[in-house]
Amino acid sequence: MIGLVVRRLAAMIPLLLFVSFVVFSLITLVPGDPATTLAGGTDADFADIEAIREEMNLNDPFLVQYAKWLGGAVQGDFGESLLSGRPVYGEVKRAIPPTLGLVAATLILVIPVGLLLGLISGLRPGSVRDKSVLTFTSAGIAMPSFWVALLLVSFFAVRLKWLPPFGYEPFVDSPTEWAKRMIMPAIALSASAIAVVSRQLRGGLADVMTAPYIRTAWAKGGSGHQVIAGHALKNAAMPAVTVLGLQTAVLLGGSIIIEQIFTIPGLGTYLLRAINQQDLPSIQAVALLYVVINVMINLIVDIAYGFLNPKVRAA
Amino acid sequence: MSTEQFGVTDHIEVAVADEVPDTADGNGADGGRSASTGTGVAEHRRGPIALATRRLLRNPLALVALGFLFAVIVVGVLAPLIAPYDPNEQLTGPPFLGPFSDGHLLGTDDLGRDIFSRILYGARLSILVSTATVAIALIIAVPIGLSAGYHGGRIEYGIMRVTDAMMSFPGLVLAISLVAVLGPSLKNTMIAIAVVLIPGFTRLVRGQALAIREESFIEASKSIGSPTKRIIFRRVFPNLLSPLVVQVSIALGIVLLAEASLSFLGLGARPPEISWGAMLRQASEVILVHPGQMYAPGLAIALTVLAFNTLGDGILDALTGGSGARGRRGRRRGLTFVERKMAPETSVAAPVDDAVSNLEPAPIERHESEAAPSPMTMVTLERNGEAARAAAELPPTDALLAVDGLTVQFSTARGWATVVDNVSFQIRKGETLGLVGESGSGKTVTSLSVMRLLPSPPSRITAGSVRFDGRDLLTLPIREMTKLRGSRIAMVFQDPMSSLNPALTIQHQIGQVVRWHDGGGKKHAATRANEVLEMVGIPKRRATSYPHELSGGQRQRAMIAMALVCRPSLLIADEPTTALDVTIQAQVLELMHELRKELEMAILFVTHDLGVVADICDRVAVMYAGQIVETAPVRELFHHPKHPYTEGLLRAMPQKAEPRSELYVIPGQVPQFHEFGTGCRLAPRCEYAQDRCRTTPIRLERVDPVHLARCIRWDELDLEAKI
Repeated sequence: MIGLVVRRLAAMIPLLLFVSFVVFSLITLVPGDPATTLAGGTDADFADIEAIREEMNLNDPFLVQYAKWLGGAVQGDFGESLLSGRPVYGEVKRAIPPTLGLVAATLILVIPVGLLLGLISGLRPGSVRDKSVLTFTSAGIAMPSFWVALLLVSFFAVRLKWLPPFGYEPFVDSPTEWAKRMIMPAIALSASAIAVVSRQLRGGLADVMTAPYIRTAWAKGGSGHQVIAGHALKNAAMPAVTVLGLQTAVLLGGSIIIEQIFTIPGLGTYLLRAINQQDLPSIQAVALLYVVINVMINLIVDIAYGFLNPKVRAA
Repeated sequence: MSTEQFGVTDHIEVAVADEVPDTADGNGADGGRSASTGTGVAEHRRGPIALATRRLLRNPLALVALGFLFAVIVVGVLAPLIAPYDPNEQLTGPPFLGPFSDGHLLGTDDLGRDIFSRILYGARLSILVSTATVAIALIIAVPIGLSAGYHGGRIEYGIMRVTDAMMSFPGLVLAISLVAVLGPSLKNTMIAIAVVLIPGFTRLVRGQALAIREESFIEASKSIGSPTKRIIFRRVFPNLLSPLVVQVSIALGIVLLAEASLSFLGLGARPPEISWGAMLRQASEVILVHPGQMYAPGLAIALTVLAFNTLGDGILDALTGGSGARGRRGRRRGLTFVERKMAPETSVAAPVDDAVSNLEPAPIERHESEAAPSPMTMVTLERNGEAARAAAELPPTDALLAVDGLTVQFSTARGWATVVDNVSFQIRKGETLGLVGESGSGKTVTSLSVMRLLPSPPSRITAGSVRFDGRDLLTLPIREMTKLRGSRIAMVFQDPMSSLNPALTIQHQIGQVVRWHDGGGKKHAATRANEVLEMVGIPKRRATSYPHELSGGQRQRAMIAMALVCRPSLLIADEPTTALDVTIQAQVLELMHELRKELEMAILFVTHDLGVVADICDRVAVMYAGQIVETAPVRELFHHPKHPYTEGLLRAMPQKAEPRSELYVIPGQVPQFHEFGTGCRLAPRCEYAQDRCRTTPIRLERVDPVHLARCIRWDELDLEAKI
């Protein structure tokens, strides 16, 4: 098991190197002379342009720029915000907990609900309850998360006034207030992931239930419950877990919009503000952070997968 | 299929070429497999695309989706003609009118613009953006994927690593970052989304190209000197189309969602461009006061994406011949259906005839007078079975297992096929009966029916009884059946690798049997498991191994240990040695020999290998095309066969072949179920067949008190000469 973790961590290094290079290369896509554009266009003060050129090492060869940037990044130094002039990392750092909280709250919903729905539909394919779940999940995949969010707000906040329509309260200050404000964002964000996970488990169950080892379990005298809980579930859950890893990427993307709607001061809100202000160092820092969070969550999923599948553990 | 990643799925298995109707999903039953050919052949001639189109047109859901998308396209194209207002004209009415207001079907927005007109124009933009973006992604991804898959080597490695890394970006984050630096606009949004789609498409194309590269017709093209470019475009490309069509349909939905997301954030479409996502952005700003503003655009997005996904699923189903879940409707898990009120449709011989016990048989004439009427009911059948036994004057305790007139059917594209037809046999305590035949003869189906392990659907038991210790297993509810399975009757399967659960240790899997039947804690179960493992020669330290950590022989030993842990009185072994190499085979047989003596169990030994039969069996029943054709004690059968099929099997034994002589092969193949005639089922392959063999139903006749044969010429043929 420890071997698995070490191997996965080692495999992350070249990946993160490549990804950081892509993130850094974003600067080459900035139209015109980057320093001029970032300083606010051709009207900008010459001194400002030169300051940016100096600050971002734009006079160096590209690879040297990258090396300097990466060297800083691994130490938590993403340069200074072009707007506020303060170190980017200090500001980004404060945006991480709200986003992680949102993603965690979403996953807490996705895993049990997705698996439960998958089980409900997968155990009796073709039944009425299977069809109801499938209809529900089709809708869950097709509805944009931000529309679900708006529907929730209009119903639970505007009409019923059960929940505050938006806002954020740090978990450490008041877990109940945090939860109150996280319910709607988490539901909106979880809908499509729940749908995908449940469909995957349904498909996994359908496949597994025809496997020879399930016949063996019946031949051993297992009851329906024993066969499903003791044999089918663990194997059927494997593809669902894999898909869960893929879904975190979708969740992170969706969280940007959801944070915007519910005014959660997370990475997404920070990113959008940076975009509006053409603050490239901040954009790069946040993009890289998203990838790191995604890779980390996938590492956790991989480890969970190792628990399910002894072959992965050993190989 | 779904919008899983912000990208596309890697592999799709589109099995147009080896299309199999999903009626009988075989499930290891050698009968089911052959039952499932049939219509596939006829449908092939129309070509895979025509076939898939026909299937798609028969799928109502996909048709509705197709119709809806067609409507969206028409509305988008004709928007200027059918929209009641200019979509950007302000104050066509008072602002924030609700839906169904006078002159404004969907109301008006903050500037008094007509929402219905804006939705129509939004359709135009959505379709345009979706198709153009997917087209851009395809134009870039297809050549890259093709060259990676077709050429392989370093190019492929490099391309794959880059796509891997690109896919570790959360899709929307990458798109947003790209738009952020390129500058917010609809054009840049499309470019950004296309970039996000490219890795997924590349992988898909590469996967397909790789699979196709290995196919023989490409080799053939190369060998006749076709230039690479021509091979790719003439040969590889057409085969790529079907999986690509599925992914394109789903990607269109993904792009629509992504464009709506970016426009919602104010990074995509901006006024005067009209996008559903941008409309939602406006609606969200006034949500606390006018929550009704967001219904129409959100619904438009959701329905269109739903239509794209449904169409994609429909195309996939049409190409693969239906999703795996379909056709399993109402499956009753773990217990074969018994519908004994039906008469076996293709039954030829009168059932009572075959119900005769072959141990101490009564005179045949006596039963002919009571020939069972058709259709028979369950009750009649029960009485017939009882009558047969009474007539045989056999003490009921003598036979541990008495199978009487067992008939099993499989649902196929041509209706119900009788895979096991009126099969009867008995096994006494401590006796080993060999059930022999080629694959497709129905022996595996017979053995699975005894424990009612065949999946229903597609299978059902339509007649007969299976008496174990005096109780008819076919009348037992699943709760009673599970009590017997594993404890009194146990089974060893052919392929130990797939028959053992890969995710659990063998100790755990064996211990389960103990826990399920005897109760007791996990510790007790583990101790018992270790004991039986030791008995079959697997040391204690290997007990906590997973199946993949064991050798083939060890796995089969573990399988046997699992069957024996509760000391069953009947062991059903379905080709237990077939998957093993010769030395291991001998070890396993030796083991079964010893254990049988030690535990005094009866064994039903299913095999196609007569050499193994000679080693281990007391009596043999030979099956052909779903019927028992001969049954006798093992020495009698080997030395005095009375059925030409048995003679053929004996002649085909490699052990009997002279060195350097050609091995005998029975000509022809086991017939398909729909090919059975009224006469002898072996007749087409039998060198002794006469006209009367083909026309009259053949009964199982008594050669001597312990020997039955289903051949009308048994007393005139001399079959011993050639073996």
